[in-house]
Amino acid sequence: MKIHATVKNLENYKIYLQVEKAVHEFMEANHYLKVELPVLSPTLIPESYLEIFETEFKFLDKKEKLYLTPSPELFIKRLLTHGVGDCYYLGKSFRNADPPASLHSYEFVMLEFYKMGVDYMGIADVVLKLLQSIKKQIIYQGKKISFEKWEKITVSQAFEKYAAISEKELFNHKLFISKARLKGYQTKNFTYEDLWSQIYSQEVEPNLGKNGYPTLIYDYPKEFAALAKLNPDDRTTQRFEFYINGIELGDCYTELTDWKEQEIRFKKEGKVIHPIDKGYIEALKYGLQDCSGIAIGLERLAMIFADLTSIDQLKLINIV
Amino acid sequence: MRINAGNLKKGEFVFFQGAICQVQKADFYSPGKGSALMKARLKNLVSAKNVEYAYKSNEQVEVLDVTSVEMQYLYKDNENLYFMDERTFNQSSLPISIVGEITRFFKEGEKMFVYMYNDKPLSIRPPSSVKLKIIEAEDAAKGDTVSGAKKPVKVETGAIVMVPIFVKIGESISINPETGEYTGRV
Repeated sequence: MKIHATVKNLENYKIYLQVEKAVHEFMEANHYLKVELPVLSPTLIPESYLEIFETEFKFLDKKEKLYLTPSPELFIKRLLTHGVGDCYYLGKSFRNADPPASLHSYEFVMLEFYKMGVDYMGIADVVLKLLQSIKKQIIYQGKKISFEKWEKITVSQAFEKYAAISEKELFNHKLFISKARLKGYQTKNFTYEDLWSQIYSQEVEPNLGKNGYPTLIYDYPKEFAALAKLNPDDRTTQRFEFYINGIELGDCYTELTDWKEQEIRFKKEGKVIHPIDKGYIEALKYGLQDCSGIAIGLERLAMIFADLTSIDQLKLINIV
Repeated sequence: MRINAGNLKKGEFVFFQGAICQVQKADFYSPGKGSALMKARLKNLVSAKNVEYAYKSNEQVEVLDVTSVEMQYLYKDNENLYFMDERTFNQSSLPISIVGEITRFFKEGEKMFVYMYNDKPLSIRPPSSVKLKIIEAEDAAKGDTVSGAKKPVKVETGAIVMVPIFVKIGESISINPETGEYTGRV
């Protein structure tokens, strides 16, 4: 990799700064506490699909492994259990094995905020107001997008509409895999999760956020939300993502507050390289009030407002 | 040769749904739901249309074993570019729609590398830079000293390129043909 000074992006970078400023102003006006957090942690939440950066703290002959945080969640949950209330983090997060690409980078700026006493749809209302506070409507790649309302669709409806996969097929692993095979996907040695992810990315995602409004897609199968609250149907979780022009911008869920259930889900996550954050379970044991949170990629959001197609166009320094 | 989709690179040729395609873009990413994916943009070399496909990063993909042959670019008509292998004098042609935007920087008589598969030309290996002479340019306006200011000029193939204002008519410049950007004077 090489360092590139891309000062030609100065005007775009200024739009990024405007979006960042608007976010801070909105959060402050709505009484969210800004929290500064470490980016190095000795333990992490087990999320086996995330690749982690690992480093070492050295002091004389003592050494301790530290990990760059893929999300600030493990810190914020502790603060929430101890009553910090509505709060937000706007800073760097790190995910290994995500090479720099138009929508990805191994280090990125994340806005993560939590609101007490609401479920995921309560957060959806806040996000819409946040978008409106930046601009009421935009033109993105020649198409008008208004932030007046959401286009809402469940994951199940979206698979039916865009991939012709019925609700029955969506939730039954065996049926889903044979449907994927029929559609021409390679299925040998692949799991339900692998194929689900592929079809979601290939057939569903490109259609989201294309009808003049941002799309809110919600109620994901429980296999895809380790920290989210289960719906009464027992097979979906209270999770949503939102999209503009096929681009995912944020991921939200009603927080799972049941520590026993959380412990079971952690065990199901399988092998991870880092020590598991037991304090996270301890914090839940202490007691977490009902709340919901969302993570939004700030560079992607600014990219949309700047009418660009790649996050590197916003940056003054790119490492590629 | 079969490889993991996660190792696909821009410029490689693959079989996709029965057609030969060239990888235009390949982004590896973990969506946070299930396994990592390789999102590829593939250009169908018959229809010249692009298609987006999300491979599972560890699925097997057949990559074509192509060779690249140095040829002389002869000329173009409305649809095709014509090349000649200088050792055998065999001529080949490629549709402009397949080779794409970079053709506007091709100068007749230049040597280029043509990708071949089973003796059939597939596409061009884009040169990393081309050197072309400026044939039309306005003088820089006096007092226009804003750093980084640019002006359009016409190069000998007829293409328009943005260059720094101090660059003059008659000078030769180097251009990155894939981005169309000026990279320096030669």
